[in-house]
Amino acid sequence: MSESKGKILVVEDSADEANLIKMILEPEGYEVAVASNGEEGLKKVASNRPDLIVLDVMMPELDGFTMCSRLRESPEHSGTPVILLTGVAKRISNSKYPLDGVLRADAEQYLEKPVKPEELLETVARLLK
Amino acid sequence: MCLGMVMTTKLNCWEFRDCERGPGTKNMCPAAADTSCDGANCGTNAGRICWCVGGTFCSGQPECDFAQNIDSCLSCEFFQKVQAEEGPRFQLLKLAQGVLDVSGLQSMISHLEAMMRIHERVHSHFDLEQAVKDITDEAESVTSARRSVVFLIEGNPPELRGQFNMRGERIRVTMPIDENSVVGFCAFHNKVANLRDVYEHNQSGPGAPRFNKQFDKRCRCETESLLAVPIRDSRQRVIGVITAANSLKGRFSSDDQWFLQKYATEVALAVEKSRLLEQSLFAARLTSVGETAAALSHCIKNIAHAMRGSAYVIKRGIELNRMDNVKAAWEILDRHVEKLADLSLDLLAFDPERALEAETADLNETVDHVVRLLTDEARTRSIKIEACLGRGVETCRFDPRLIYRCLINLIMNAFDACLPKAGTVAVLTGRTAQGDVMITVSDNGRGMDDRTKEQIFKLFKTSKGRGSFGIGLPTVLDLVKKHNGRIEVQSELGKGSTFTILIPDLTDAC
Repeated sequence: MSESKGKILVVEDSADEANLIKMILEPEGYEVAVASNGEEGLKKVASNRPDLIVLDVMMPELDGFTMCSRLRESPEHSGTPVILLTGVAKRISNSKYPLDGVLRADAEQYLEKPVKPEELLETVARLLK
Repeated sequence: MCLGMVMTTKLNCWEFRDCERGPGTKNMCPAAADTSCDGANCGTNAGRICWCVGGTFCSGQPECDFAQNIDSCLSCEFFQKVQAEEGPRFQLLKLAQGVLDVSGLQSMISHLEAMMRIHERVHSHFDLEQAVKDITDEAESVTSARRSVVFLIEGNPPELRGQFNMRGERIRVTMPIDENSVVGFCAFHNKVANLRDVYEHNQSGPGAPRFNKQFDKRCRCETESLLAVPIRDSRQRVIGVITAANSLKGRFSSDDQWFLQKYATEVALAVEKSRLLEQSLFAARLTSVGETAAALSHCIKNIAHAMRGSAYVIKRGIELNRMDNVKAAWEILDRHVEKLADLSLDLLAFDPERALEAETADLNETVDHVVRLLTDEARTRSIKIEACLGRGVETCRFDPRLIYRCLINLIMNAFDACLPKAGTVAVLTGRTAQGDVMITVSDNGRGMDDRTKEQIFKLFKTSKGRGSFGIGLPTVLDLVKKHNGRIEVQSELGKGSTFTILIPDLTDAC
């Protein structure tokens, strides 16, 4: 069995989207774990110690911005690269996820949905180099 | 004139006093100059109602008007002479006719109070048709007319359009804006027309208003006296005509004309309000469409995201012979293609100017579409949304696209009410005991006090702060009204709210 190219944690509340990201990354040699919300994500960061985190922004309980901020506050995990997936840049009726929040979240990269799988793979490879 | 008959000349005050301050003189008295009272008590200008004019020179010095000088006017020889000469037709005040006792004055005051009530009533709502009805009802009462009609200039080319009830039938009338009718004349020349007998008046020469006999033929009535007053907007442009027909007193007086002119102003204000509202609602609907478009754009992005990912996994799975991935991705793709198909209904609901297009459909299907559309949004806000779809609404007549938009608005409002904590939103359908179709949207959010409840359907009133423009609920009400329906609201501060849409079933009407 070939060596894993890296451990990735995908934090995404939609089961379909989480599975798709897993099916995109695993065939390329990455080991992928999934968490369905920010709280669970933080626990798995502590237990699995991933090399990279793919993080959806709009999630219940703990959203992607907040989870990213908490990671940056933790000395142990502040260096783990984060890719944020954003679905909505501007909303008239819901200002909870403004675009500048993405920029403030201090992620290495954000990708706007609908994400191109090739772009996701290229970004993961670059950040894990 | 018979021989021996003594001619009594009705003198104006300057003639009675021989003060040489009559009309056209160098030191003309204000009573001689005041043309607004011309004809009062059979005098020239205010010559026989001079006590109503301030600054007259009765005693050689400028006098105050009636209100301040009432005692000396009432005891004035000229006042008593005019009163005796005019008898029952004596006019005490500029407005009051035949006032010899308190009850006559009281009648005039009650007319003025009625006018104030009309003003308050008409301007408490935006319903133009109701406002016109209120005004014409009052105009008939105050002017003792058998009929009062408002004609508004509408259409292209512009014409005067009015409607009224006659023997239980709704009559609609249109008149061109020209001299071939009294109403047309009034609008064309921006002039009042007061005819004692329309048929006699038709004998008058050119330049005079001529009654269009086709009106009586069309409406199967007989017009006798007719008073027509132009309705002018705030820029003094004629926008219509208000009429009073068939005075019970035989003819319409200057007081009747005065009142009708005031009612014309009320109509003008109601029309301008209504037109401003139409423009506001159109703008509000466009913005509301923008809001809904933003929400739907989010859904489309998520669907596209999943479809793109699925397509890639299928392609790569075939390349790598990972059939398990191909199968899983295919199922995800299939689900999202279905979601995309559902969006076609959402997009069709966008047209802001869409009139009601009722069709026989399953209300539960429409409700289910909306709930599924907004499930993702609910999840991201940690809100539980549930639909309890009742029976009896599988075949009812309504416009699915308009109800669809109403529900999006109501449910999104319910979501907002649940912030910042997690909540539950429930959508129910069913029928009332009276057979009305019913849809309720309930939340266990922050609720509203009575004052907020009163304001929620008013345009641009919002309690939600920045990011909300207060246009969703007025749009919802507008769309429900298109169905001849209504919305009931129950709410308790701190406990939540329930909005109930009630629509009469149009099935029997079709």
